[in-house]
Amino acid sequence: MIDLIQTLGSGILVGLVYALLGLCIVIIFKASEAFNFAIGEFLILGSFLFYVLFFNETLPWHRALPLGVLIFLFFSYVFFFDIRARFVIAIPSGLVAGFLIFCVLFFGLNLSSLVSSSLLRFIIALPMGLLAAGFVGSMVERITIKPLLGRSPISMTIITLGLGFFLRGCIQLIWGSHAYPFFLDLPDITMEMGDFLFLSDPIWAGILSLLTFGLVIVFLFRSRWGLAIRATSEDQAKAMAFGINSRFILLIVWAISALCIAVAGIMISNFGALQVGMGYVGLRAIPVVLIGGMDSIGGALIGGIIVGVCESLAGTYIEPMGLIGFKDVAPYILLLIVLFIRPYGLFGTVRIERV
Amino acid sequence: MLSIENLRVVYHDVISVLNGISLGVKDGEVLIIIGANGAGKTTLLRSISGMIEFYDGDIIEGDVKMDGTSIKGLDATDIMKRFDLTYVMEDRPVFWYLTIEENLGAASFSRWDKRVKADMEEVFGYFPVLRSMKGKRAGYASGGEQQMLAIGMALMTKPKILLLDEPSLGLAPLITEELFSIISQLNQTGITIMLVEQNAHAALGIGTRGYVVEMGRIVLDGTAQELLENEDVREFYLGSGKKERKSYKDAKRYKRRKRWL
Amino acid sequence: MKQRAVFVLAFTLSLILLFILPLSAKEIKTLSQFPMSGPVGSLPEFGWGFIDGMNWVNNEGGGVNGKKIKWFLEDFRYNPTVEVANFSKYTAEHPPDELLMATGYITGGLKPLIEKVNKEQKIPWLDGSYSTEIFGAGGGPSKYPYYYSLGATYGDQIKVLLKWIKENHKGKGKPRVAFVYSPTAWGRDGTPEGIAYAKKLGFDVVAEIEYPYTATSATNECMQLRKAKAQYVIYHGYSGATSYTAIFFKTARKIIPKAQLMGTHYTTGRFPILVAQEAFDGYVGVATRPFSDPVPRAKYPKDNAMVKMAHEFAQKNRPEEYKKGLKGGIKDMFLYMEGLTYALMLQKALTDADNAGDLSREGVKKALDNMVWDFKGMFGGKTFSYKSHTIPMLQIFKAKVKMVKMGDKMVPTGGVYPISDWINTDEIQW
Repeated sequence: MIDLIQTLGSGILVGLVYALLGLCIVIIFKASEAFNFAIGEFLILGSFLFYVLFFNETLPWHRALPLGVLIFLFFSYVFFFDIRARFVIAIPSGLVAGFLIFCVLFFGLNLSSLVSSSLLRFIIALPMGLLAAGFVGSMVERITIKPLLGRSPISMTIITLGLGFFLRGCIQLIWGSHAYPFFLDLPDITMEMGDFLFLSDPIWAGILSLLTFGLVIVFLFRSRWGLAIRATSEDQAKAMAFGINSRFILLIVWAISALCIAVAGIMISNFGALQVGMGYVGLRAIPVVLIGGMDSIGGALIGGIIVGVCESLAGTYIEPMGLIGFKDVAPYILLLIVLFIRPYGLFGTVRIERV
Repeated sequence: MLSIENLRVVYHDVISVLNGISLGVKDGEVLIIIGANGAGKTTLLRSISGMIEFYDGDIIEGDVKMDGTSIKGLDATDIMKRFDLTYVMEDRPVFWYLTIEENLGAASFSRWDKRVKADMEEVFGYFPVLRSMKGKRAGYASGGEQQMLAIGMALMTKPKILLLDEPSLGLAPLITEELFSIISQLNQTGITIMLVEQNAHAALGIGTRGYVVEMGRIVLDGTAQELLENEDVREFYLGSGKKERKSYKDAKRYKRRKRWL
Repeated sequence: MKQRAVFVLAFTLSLILLFILPLSAKEIKTLSQFPMSGPVGSLPEFGWGFIDGMNWVNNEGGGVNGKKIKWFLEDFRYNPTVEVANFSKYTAEHPPDELLMATGYITGGLKPLIEKVNKEQKIPWLDGSYSTEIFGAGGGPSKYPYYYSLGATYGDQIKVLLKWIKENHKGKGKPRVAFVYSPTAWGRDGTPEGIAYAKKLGFDVVAEIEYPYTATSATNECMQLRKAKAQYVIYHGYSGATSYTAIFFKTARKIIPKAQLMGTHYTTGRFPILVAQEAFDGYVGVATRPFSDPVPRAKYPKDNAMVKMAHEFAQKNRPEEYKKGLKGGIKDMFLYMEGLTYALMLQKALTDADNAGDLSREGVKKALDNMVWDFKGMFGGKTFSYKSHTIPMLQIFKAKVKMVKMGDKMVPTGGVYPISDWINTDEIQW
């Protein structure tokens, strides 16, 4: 019994992180009907961006400068074409953003000399890292996805496959492919009662993932931007006809998605170390969204927890029976069963049929 | 206020749909555009509202002007915000999975301010049936309710000129009548209306002027009254005219022309 | 027309010359393959060490009695298929009396090559694999006469660890030992032999866990170890340079703080100190090379001639990378030294064969079989013989990690330090 509770608990905690991964896939799928296969790369990229800020990691000028220029170009572009600022406003604001990014990358942020408490440092660095991840997400969308707007979603999906390889190459070029130490030093909230033991890191991961999940849901269902996103998700043409700029909405959706992936990535990196090879974690999102339903946000949460618990149970009860490696397969077996019974996933949208 | 000059539009670089169409919309009128299927009516509205790019079409010649300013090539949202031109797409363009209230909210996205609630009340004033079901998903509403919602959503954008694409599609005659009376009410509040219709009789009943489009060209124009009385229009679009049956082989087209693809 | 005929003739002649000329001069060729990229991370250090080593061998080192070695280097991306394909390609391109030796690096590549190397090509093959199945009791020189390993087998490594437990176990009762190994050919190799030996020594083997490379958390595994009350955890089949090792050590340190974590060759080293930091403190592991790269690097033991040579080489040839360390430089000197040892081993074997007057594949094999060498002082002056086709030398190391405040950051310092003398596993009575 103790075993069971312990197993379920740790499964749910990891499952919440998976749920966040699932959410990232779901919102992009809802908005553009494309499956983002580059999720693993976004995960590492987001973690690295946070790493740069939190651990005061600097880059040499020949790496930092092109990134700064890229940010400058992107900012000016978005200001000019999406926000419709004037040229004299767009270019300087782009320059400021690019220069700031360059400074942060080249000179480092040196947060630790300003703030001694690691918790406070985390609280400061996290939004900045996430913002950076969001920017990268939107930049990627602008370059690769936007030209395909209105075309078949399949072509977008295939673009994300190629994008994954490209981003992976970029990350290896900039940061190399070895492991980086990753210690967040969050306050220790390990729960130990007799035979129960829940470690601090997974609990933090669960809490922060749930928090992010909640914030995204509140944003989607309680704000007018969320309303616009939901409208665009349903039909881009209709949304455009009613004055919602679908292209800009799509950019925001990708930014939110990249941001959530970064949270998941940071949490998973904190379990061990940060390395390009960790991108496979992103693939855990596939059973999550297929079990939960490709277009259901609540389904992503349930699917994530199901996958986490399933892995955990398989690891504790089935693997010791000699079926070693079953942990990795168990979610997929469950997925098959679910798909046999409910082809749209557990919570996939039932299409409205008018009578 | 709106003038279209010699507009030519091509889809997918090969399918020529509008072949040099020119027309003008005057302030405060109800302009009716009638034409057979495939004549290019919807394409005309799409090119005015800036949606044409989304459907992979191209304006290869001509211009669209709003009070003398060219709006060709602008984004749909820009045209809407800067020129107060709203396009209601055909087939009841409501968001099925949002509630009716959310639908109205989504439509007011481009001009979100404190007056949204009051405007919503105003829309409910025009369409009382929507108020009673405002928490319901739009997908479960009936066709007439959905069309009313669509026009209500268009009103939320505070348009000066409203392009309506076949609002009567698939609706019962009674509801169509109700709808058209509301449209003419709207016109009286100062909104210019450009209405594309298959149901020529009902449309011409509320219209000021009308154009007949065929093969991507204007073939006939005049006041609504003139068109109603025109023999060819009566024959092809109103289904009345001479009693004896005409064979389709003899059907007179206004300009005989082969379609080239 | 005439001009054209002259042109065609000249073209044909030059083609013929192109084919004949190389045949006239016989060269000494070798093929080396290292996993410089792939799932174990990016490890260009192998290549750097090997290139620097071969350049030294061909110039200052005097080559093979004055003759230069033409060496080929390939990255097989930790993929056995690539390793086999490269080998097939080179053996097809180069005649057997020129391509005299080949080297590989992983167990996974050794198995599909058994027939090709030992029966068809009969080419001496040096390998970084310490596979028990191939070099241990079940295989060895009689079964695979052309395979040579550059270290003691994993089975022997685990057995040495178990022997250490027996000698150092304090407290009452039998030592409770658990095995954590990777679900790969590497992880499964040597573990059964280790378990059998543990039972022979009278230990309780309380858990056997396969922990995969794709793990996102090690909580389940560590909870199992906690439940089994394991006192010694042997972690085998993992690279120390990766995130999964960091996950395991960080989790295990919290869930089973009292257990002694132990490991085999590739887990021992500098990298876990940088990545897992304090969680790696107190780790006991064996290694087949002198691990000599503490943090900071300047404190390396200068009494070992081979270690000194490797550090000096790196400082001379790769000054930038030597300084940079983790950030795009030499992450662990072991990797650099490994490339260098391959270069020196090739030179030694080829020179021995040349001295015996038989510079052919068979001659090199004979030279290797009869080799008794101190490997430039690598094993503290001890010599080894290549009878068993493995270099049977092992040393036990213990990790000491201390967090030190440097500037505004906490950085780990320390290293793995030997706690035993060099052990020749051929001489141990198990």
